[in-house]
Amino acid sequence: MWRYFIFILVFFFVLTPLLFLILGSFSTASLPTDFSLSTMGVVNYVKVYSDPGTIELFTNTIIYAAGSVALGISLAVSLAWLVERTNVPWKVLIYAGVPMTLAMPGMLQAMAWVLLFSPRIGFVNNVLKQLFHLEQPAINIYTLSGMISIEGLRLVPTAFLMLVPLMRSMDPALEEAAAVSGARPGSTMRKVTLRLLAPGLAAVTIYQTMSVLELFEIPGILGLPAGIYVFSTKIYSIVHSATFPPPYGQANALAMVYIVIAVVTTYFYSRMIGRTEKYTIVTGKGYRPRLIDLGKWRHVGLGFGLLYLFFSIVLPFAILLYASFLPYLQTPSWETLHTMTLKNYRMLAEFDDLTMALKNTAIMVIVTATATTLLSFSVSLVIVRSNFWGRKILDQLAFIPHAIPGMVMALAFVWLFLKIDFLPLFGTIWSITIAFTVNFLAYGTRTMNAAILQIHKELEEAAYMSGARPWRTMWRIFFPLLLPSLAGVWIWVVLLAVRVAGTPLMLAEGAQNQVLSILIWNMWDWGHIGGVAAIGTIMIIALMFLTIGVRMLGFHRRHAVQ
Amino acid sequence: MIRIEKLEMHYRTERGQVHAVRGINVNVQPGQFYTLLGPSGCGKTSTLRCVAGLEVPTEGEVFIGDDLVFSSSKKVSIPPYKRDIGMVFQSYAIWPHMTVFENVAFPLQEMRRRYSKKQIEEKVAKALALVQLNDLGDRPAPFLSGGQQQRLALARALVKEPAVLLLDEPLSNLDAKLREETRVEMRELVKRLGITTLYVTHDQLEALTMSDVVAVMSEGRIVQEGSPIEIYQIPRERFVANFIGLANFMEGKVKTVASDGKRSGQVETSSGVLACRIPEGVSVGEKVVIVIRPEDVSLVNSSSASEENVLPARVKAVIFMGDTLECTVTIGEQELRMKLHPSSGVKEGNTVHFQIPSQYCRVLQA
Repeated sequence: MWRYFIFILVFFFVLTPLLFLILGSFSTASLPTDFSLSTMGVVNYVKVYSDPGTIELFTNTIIYAAGSVALGISLAVSLAWLVERTNVPWKVLIYAGVPMTLAMPGMLQAMAWVLLFSPRIGFVNNVLKQLFHLEQPAINIYTLSGMISIEGLRLVPTAFLMLVPLMRSMDPALEEAAAVSGARPGSTMRKVTLRLLAPGLAAVTIYQTMSVLELFEIPGILGLPAGIYVFSTKIYSIVHSATFPPPYGQANALAMVYIVIAVVTTYFYSRMIGRTEKYTIVTGKGYRPRLIDLGKWRHVGLGFGLLYLFFSIVLPFAILLYASFLPYLQTPSWETLHTMTLKNYRMLAEFDDLTMALKNTAIMVIVTATATTLLSFSVSLVIVRSNFWGRKILDQLAFIPHAIPGMVMALAFVWLFLKIDFLPLFGTIWSITIAFTVNFLAYGTRTMNAAILQIHKELEEAAYMSGARPWRTMWRIFFPLLLPSLAGVWIWVVLLAVRVAGTPLMLAEGAQNQVLSILIWNMWDWGHIGGVAAIGTIMIIALMFLTIGVRMLGFHRRHAVQ
Repeated sequence: MIRIEKLEMHYRTERGQVHAVRGINVNVQPGQFYTLLGPSGCGKTSTLRCVAGLEVPTEGEVFIGDDLVFSSSKKVSIPPYKRDIGMVFQSYAIWPHMTVFENVAFPLQEMRRRYSKKQIEEKVAKALALVQLNDLGDRPAPFLSGGQQQRLALARALVKEPAVLLLDEPLSNLDAKLREETRVEMRELVKRLGITTLYVTHDQLEALTMSDVVAVMSEGRIVQEGSPIEIYQIPRERFVANFIGLANFMEGKVKTVASDGKRSGQVETSSGVLACRIPEGVSVGEKVVIVIRPEDVSLVNSSSASEENVLPARVKAVIFMGDTLECTVTIGEQELRMKLHPSSGVKEGNTVHFQIPSQYCRVLQA
C-alpha cells in the first residue's frame, strides 16, 4: 500500500510542475492564474525565438558552459592525477582542501571577486591603476571570461571528488601489462590509461555541463549587471522584469530548449554511466597504483595545488573577512587597518531582516533536508528492495529533477503554485521547501540507492532468520547500517539548500519570506557590502564545519560496507 | 522434521520467467544431516530459501516439525521470522555494526519469550563456546577473520536452539585448508547437538563427507537421493556419475543377462565384451552406458590377458599428481582415464593390460 503512496507522491510532485511548464509555454493569458486550455497559442515561442537577443543568449550560454567546463575539468583532472598518481608532497592538504571549497557559496565567491576585480571598486584594479597610472581598469570581472574563470573554479571540487575514485580504481597491472608488451610510457598513457579513463571522464564532463547550465549565482552576480545573459539568468530576468505582469509564458517557451538539452544530455549521461560501470567491473577496486616520480617537479605540482586552493577559497574568504571589518569599502593598505571596526557585526545583531531570514532559513533548510532524506530513503527502498511493478518508472521519475535545471524547475513551481492559489503556498518559504525537496530528490535517491545496494540482502534476511519482524529488522539492522548515509544526505542537502540562491529568488516574495541567500542578494543590490561580507564570513565558517561533518561521515561509511 | 511436498517455484528475472524448482519432494528425518547437491542454477538454494520462508514457492507444501509453514492450496505462508529455524548464509551476513556478543544475542532478544539479561549472557556464552569464540564477545564483528565469521554465523544460528538448521554453502568462502578442517568440525557439532540440518552445496566432497543423505539436483529436480556411498557407487544417471567424482563412460549393448538373481551379464562395447551387473529392468539387446571410476581400474600382467574384463590399451598421456599417476589410455577409439599408484612406472606410448572388476562396471540405461 505504502508503495503506491510513494509512487503517486513522486509522480505528482515531479510531473505536475513540468506539465504546467509545458502548458504554460503555450498560454496566451497574461497571468498563470488565468491560464485555461482555451487560451493556447504559440505566441510565446514566436516572441522569444524571433528576438535577435536569443541568438546572443545561445552563443553566450554555449561559450560560458564550454569554457567553464573545460577549465574546471582540466583543473580537476590535474589535481586528481597529482594526488592519485604522482608523489607530490603534502597530498593530504589537497585531499582535504579541495572539498572544503564546497563550503563557499557561489554567490559569495562571485562577490569576493567583484571586490577584487570590478572595474570601479576592485582592489586589484585600483592598486594596478595607481602603480602603472592606467586610464582603464586592467581587468573587468563583469565579462564572459570573468564568469568562465570563476565558474571553472567552482566546478573543480565535485569533478575532483568524482575523478579520484576513478583514478584509484585503475588496476596498475593494466598499465604494467602495456609496459611489458613494449609500450613506452607515452603510448601507455595514450593507449591504456586515457582510454580506460575516457568513459568516466566523459560522464563527469556531461554531469558538470548539466551543473553549469543549472547554476544561477555566478552569472547572476557577474553577468546581470553587465547585461550578459545566459539561460538561467535570462529566465530569472524575464520573471522579474519591470513590466507587469511579467511575461511568464515567454520564460516557459525559453525553458523548453533547456528541457530538450537536459533530456539529450541525460540520455548520453546514463549511457556513459552504463559504460563506466562496465569498465569498473574489469578494473575492480582496492589497488595501489604505482606512483609516478615527478622529481624536481613535485614542488611545482604542490605549488599548483596550493595556488588553486588560494584562488578558490583562501583569497575570496580573506577578502570577505577584510571587507566585513571595514566601515566603508577601501583598497587594503596600512591606513585601512586602523579604521577596522566591528560595526558591521554589531549592525547584524540588530538587523531584524536578518533575524527573520535566519529563522526562515533554519526552518526551510531543516524541513527540506529531513523531507528529502526520508522521501529518498522510502523511494530507494521501493526501487532497490521491492518487486513493485513500477519501481523502474519510479527510478526514472526520481531522476528527472536532476536533468532539469533548478531555475526551470523553480519556474515550473511558480506556475503550479500560482495556479493552485487555493493553497496559500506561492511566495512562502514552503514553496521553496517543496521545490528544493523535489530538486534534491534525484541526488538523494542516487545516494540512497547505492547505500541500500551496499547492504547485502543477507544481512536483512539473517535478521528474519533470527526471528526479527520487519519493523524490528528496519530498526535494528537497516537503520543503524544506513545511518551514515542518511546523515550524509541530510547534511549535504542542508549545504545545498543554504547555498543555492536561484530557486528562492524565483519563488519567495516579500520580506517575511526572505531566506539567507535572498537577503544577501538584496543587500548586495542595495550596496551594503560590509553587511554582506559579515554575513558571508559567518556563513562560510558555519558551512565549513558542515562540510567537515560530511567528510567525516564519508570516512566512517566504509565500515558499514559488507 | 522437514517435509517438502511437490514444491514448485517460478521467479521473474529481466530475461523472463525461470522455473527454478520443479516438483521436489524431500523428507528429512529428525537429527538427519540432509544435503542438496548440484551445480549452480539447479534450484538447490531456491529450495532452501523456500524452507526458510525467504522465497515464496508457487506451489507445494512445506512442513517444519509438525507445523505447516507453507501451502499453496491452503493459502498458508508463515513469514520467515515466525519459523523455528536457524540459518547460516553464504556471505555469513554478520552485522557489521554490532559486536560478536550482540550478533549472537540478537535472535534471543527478538524471541517472543523474554529472557533476562543474565539468561541471554549465559546462552550467548554457551553458543560462543560451541564454536570456540569464547573470548571474542566484545570484539566488533568486522574485526574477525573469515573462519571466525563463519563460526560466529553458526553460533548465531544455533543460539535459540531452533528445530532446524539451514546451511547455505557456508564453507564456500573459506580457503581450502580451513574448509577441510571446518567440514569435520561442523558435522561433529551438529551431530552432537542432534539438530536436523538441511545443507546446500555445489561441492561434492562436502556432500560426501558430511551428509547422512545426499540429494543430487539438476534443473530443478532431484535426480537421485541416497547415502553418500550409494550416490557415489551406484549412480542411477549419467549426470550423477559425472557430477560426483571422475567417471569414464563406455557405450554398449547388453549381450546376456544371467537369470541367477545376481543379474550378472555381459555387455558388448567397441573395445570388447565386459562382464557387468545388469540392473533390474534392463534386458538383452538394450543400449546401455557403463560407468567406470578411474580408481577402480588396475594394471595386470599381460599373462592374465585371458581373464575376465582384462583389456589391452595404449598409454596416451601420464600426469604425475604426487599421490597418483593419472593416465589417459586408449582402447580402440575409446579413451579412459585411470588412477595408478606412482610406483607403477607407466610411460607414455607403453602398451599395457588393465582389469576392471565386474562389480565396478556399473550399467546405466542409455
